[in-house]
Amino acid sequence: MSDFAALTPQPLPDPDTQDFWDSLGKGELGICRCQECSLWMHPPLERCRACAGAVAIESVSGAGTVVSFIVVRQPTVPGRLPPYVVATVELQEQRGLHLVAVLHAEPDAVHVGDRVQAEVVPLPGGDFRVPEFRPAP
Amino acid sequence: MATALVGIGRTSFSRRSGRTTRAMAVEACRAALADAGMAVADVDGMVCFQVGDSAHPGDVSYALGKDELAWSYSVYAGGNVVSDLIALASASIEAGLCRSVLVYRSLNGRSGHRLGSMEAPVQVPDDAQFDAPSGFLVPPQWFAMWARRHMHTYGTTSQDLGAIAVQQRTHAMANEHAIMKDPLTLDQYLQGRWINEPFRVFDCTYEIDAAVAVLVTSEAVAQSTRHKPVWLVGSGSSQSGSTWTAWDDQTAMYSRTAAPRLWNSTGLRPADMDVALMYDCFTYTVMATMEDYGFCGKGEVGDFYREGRATYGGDIVVNPHGGLLSEGYVHGLNHHYEAVLQLRGDAGVRQVPDARTALVTAGGGPYGGAVVYSADRP
Repeated sequence: MSDFAALTPQPLPDPDTQDFWDSLGKGELGICRCQECSLWMHPPLERCRACAGAVAIESVSGAGTVVSFIVVRQPTVPGRLPPYVVATVELQEQRGLHLVAVLHAEPDAVHVGDRVQAEVVPLPGGDFRVPEFRPAP
Repeated sequence: MATALVGIGRTSFSRRSGRTTRAMAVEACRAALADAGMAVADVDGMVCFQVGDSAHPGDVSYALGKDELAWSYSVYAGGNVVSDLIALASASIEAGLCRSVLVYRSLNGRSGHRLGSMEAPVQVPDDAQFDAPSGFLVPPQWFAMWARRHMHTYGTTSQDLGAIAVQQRTHAMANEHAIMKDPLTLDQYLQGRWINEPFRVFDCTYEIDAAVAVLVTSEAVAQSTRHKPVWLVGSGSSQSGSTWTAWDDQTAMYSRTAAPRLWNSTGLRPADMDVALMYDCFTYTVMATMEDYGFCGKGEVGDFYREGRATYGGDIVVNPHGGLLSEGYVHGLNHHYEAVLQLRGDAGVRQVPDARTALVTAGGGPYGGAVVYSADRP
């Protein structure tokens, strides 16, 4: 691992988000879901924002669609060497359920509407594991 | 009771002030008081916004010569709250908490902490913790992400965004206070270096060191100030706790709800405005909010600019000072300074003919607001 990669910003979990990171730590992408009304929500909350019901982290497929994306060309945030793609992805489990993550693809080959698949990978610079996307096979 | 802006002040706009934010705030506040023909003793309220990068009202007012304030407020927030703070200053006066309020913003936005940058390593808390692994943490990334969606949905092009940047630079060339006054052509815009695609360098605000202050007071006090008062007609705001990622429609901003709130509460329409100071941290902010406030339909902003409808002789003059993109980034408070100049008829060579009303917007993305000012008492 390069020294530059070791500078990648790290998440700081809190009581609302610890289960999300713990799930990723086990290699599973899990999203916060209401156990009463079944609403998915991200970021996770202590209680459902729609019905105030209890929530739990549930595994998702990791399949989704590119809502939008940028090609980072200027190294403003340390850790990754530009150019690289960051995408807003709508997970297939629910309309409007968005996740932002790095998309491993050639910048010129990415389009809004592309189908993508999440994988869970180690995050340089610490002990976290995070979701990143690749074009769906 | 009506309230009005009766004084405006500012420092020089520079790339390296070599001064404290307190010193700059004091200079801008003194200038606003002198402009109004008022004394330090006449002010008993002060409010600012900051992101941990500026002196607070207590420190500024003390350096200004006041031992205490009847009312003060400092909020950790960005350009999204500027119009709310003007409305809050007005409401505080109407509520009898104080008589006159200096609203200021002072920052070493270029030589100090730059909002588009990060020092590492960091642990990122709160909602941004999910964006940390992607390094998706600064405004020129968030707004670029939304702009791309607008391009997909409405066929918006780089040329459309460029038309905004070029028009504003053309305006700035008539503003000696602007920091970016060199001509900018569309070709030069398109050859600008990438920041985060689809944003080039000319899509991004120009960060500077500066302070701006405006003085808000009651109708009674306004009668005896030096210039014609610029009246606050109304305000509309929409502040969402949605993250940039969770927001449901990246082709529209806070303004989709703030705009109807503003127009309904004031009984005015976009066509009633003579000049618009549209918050322009990025070109795309202007685009999405121009649509939301109703100056044109979705996806029509590029043509609106190319047809000359956003400048002198068109539908409305947008950012005659060059905006944050070219005059410089004082976090949007310089828009209010320009609105006052225009409605007084004191804008010199860039004066919008017969300007009586101004829309001034603040913020972008999930949060922001706007005020309407008038040269005529509402």
